[in-house]
Amino acid sequence: MRRVAVVGVGMSAFGVRNDVTIQELVWEAVREALDDSGLKQKDIELSVVGTVNTRGYELMPAVVVNEYSGLTGRGPVRVEAACATGSAALWTAYSAVASGQVDVAIAIGVEKMNEVDTATSLAVGGRAGNYLWEFHMYGTTFPAYYAFYATAHMQKFGTTEEQMAMVAVKNHKYASRNPKAHFQFEVTLEEVLKSRPIAWPLKLLDCSPISDGAAAAVLASEDVARKITDTPVWIEAIGYSSDTSNFTRRPHYLGLEATRKAAEMAYRRSGVEPRQVEVAEVHDCFTIAEIMAYEDLGWVEKGKGGIFIAEGQSELGGKVSVNLSGGLKAKGHPLGATGLAQIYELVKQLREERERGRQAPLRNYIALGHNVGGTGHYAYVTILRR
Amino acid sequence: MSEKRYTKREGFKISSIPLTYKHAIPVSKTEKFWKGLAEGKIYATRCKICGSLYFPPQADCANCRSADMEWVEVPEEGVLVTFTKVYARPQGYEEFDPYIIAIVEAGDVRVMGWVMNINDESKIKIGSKVKIKPVYIEKHDKYIIGFYV
Repeated sequence: MRRVAVVGVGMSAFGVRNDVTIQELVWEAVREALDDSGLKQKDIELSVVGTVNTRGYELMPAVVVNEYSGLTGRGPVRVEAACATGSAALWTAYSAVASGQVDVAIAIGVEKMNEVDTATSLAVGGRAGNYLWEFHMYGTTFPAYYAFYATAHMQKFGTTEEQMAMVAVKNHKYASRNPKAHFQFEVTLEEVLKSRPIAWPLKLLDCSPISDGAAAAVLASEDVARKITDTPVWIEAIGYSSDTSNFTRRPHYLGLEATRKAAEMAYRRSGVEPRQVEVAEVHDCFTIAEIMAYEDLGWVEKGKGGIFIAEGQSELGGKVSVNLSGGLKAKGHPLGATGLAQIYELVKQLREERERGRQAPLRNYIALGHNVGGTGHYAYVTILRR
Repeated sequence: MSEKRYTKREGFKISSIPLTYKHAIPVSKTEKFWKGLAEGKIYATRCKICGSLYFPPQADCANCRSADMEWVEVPEEGVLVTFTKVYARPQGYEEFDPYIIAIVEAGDVRVMGWVMNINDESKIKIGSKVKIKPVYIEKHDKYIIGFYV
């Protein structure tokens, strides 16, 4: 295995992007990533396109976006891992470089979610478990799945709706400082608590929005990276795991086993310990998800995630600065783009290029990205170091 | 509170040619389960070779690679493990009032179902005993698993 560096990152503005097609949206991210790396398309040997794309009209979009970006002939490999698709694209490109098959690869993630109406979008998302045994019979929705976790976590550990709301307040605060975020405004605790119920106990402002967006990362082998940049960000390890598609077959509803296992792999392979992580982007598709992530990633013991947010430990400058981009919750969550948008944010953090009020203070220069697919069906944990 | 700034960019659009999927789902290998619901029974499968129990039922045992399975009934009582009430309904469920979905532990399996006899989620407690039985849902002309707290 060779060392692999991120040498360029790009990201479109997230939000309702009904002004562009999927290929135009991808280009916004790819252009920035190429500019950032100083490389040209001819230098890219492999393109990996991650998109779920169950809401789009362009059903097989990898070649479409590849062509538009001037990457014809360089891949593409298309990957899908529900909401962890962007990380699956990263892992695929990383593996190709680490194994020596190519020296330079680009991982692209994209999702267009607003070309269909909200009811259709919910029906597609609700099929993210096991259609036949769940959506078909019971009309499960994506928020409903995380609500199962929230209900169980509240009952077992005394986690409160207020603590969940604090996650939304924190992440909206940082998103208000992020010009690429879907929601660039703050919310109050009261507004979150009074927002309309979506899937009890989750309310509208506990949920990430339905966003469009694209993100990309250019990866290079150590030899190439040393030649082209003074600020390579190293991928120390990518851990991955998965859990059952049938929700009823999960061992419990108090955390995500896939996250725990992916984190264990990432920490072991990188030699990094949880307490060394200074800045993180975690998968907060719903507020309860961020609370469970604190626990499953090893920053606080199981059941104490609610206290962790209430004490401000995940704020900028806390024990670990979490979701300074605004997270999925407020930056937005275009499924295929999310994992790579986390990498975009963390690379910028490690290079200390973020806006005032959302740059993490760094001593070890160690970052962690945590990307979940489905409702814990997939998990990827990526450790980056500058 | 700050001004509500968000990214929402609209522009000129055209309509796609609509695409409709309506699948014929082949459930012959689990036919007994689907027909059992109409007869008031809920079936799981158990591997005759290694004893692995499957719910939802499956025709193949991934544990010992056998296809020699027997049908076993799921207990009629269980304990509520977690639940939610779905207010924002998906396409296909718009005509239902908000519904409560729960996970119930019944013997050695867990099953998903709708809570049929309580509509107020604040009245439901994890750990409650529930009766489990199939119920006919007229709007979809289908049977599902119902829970009675």
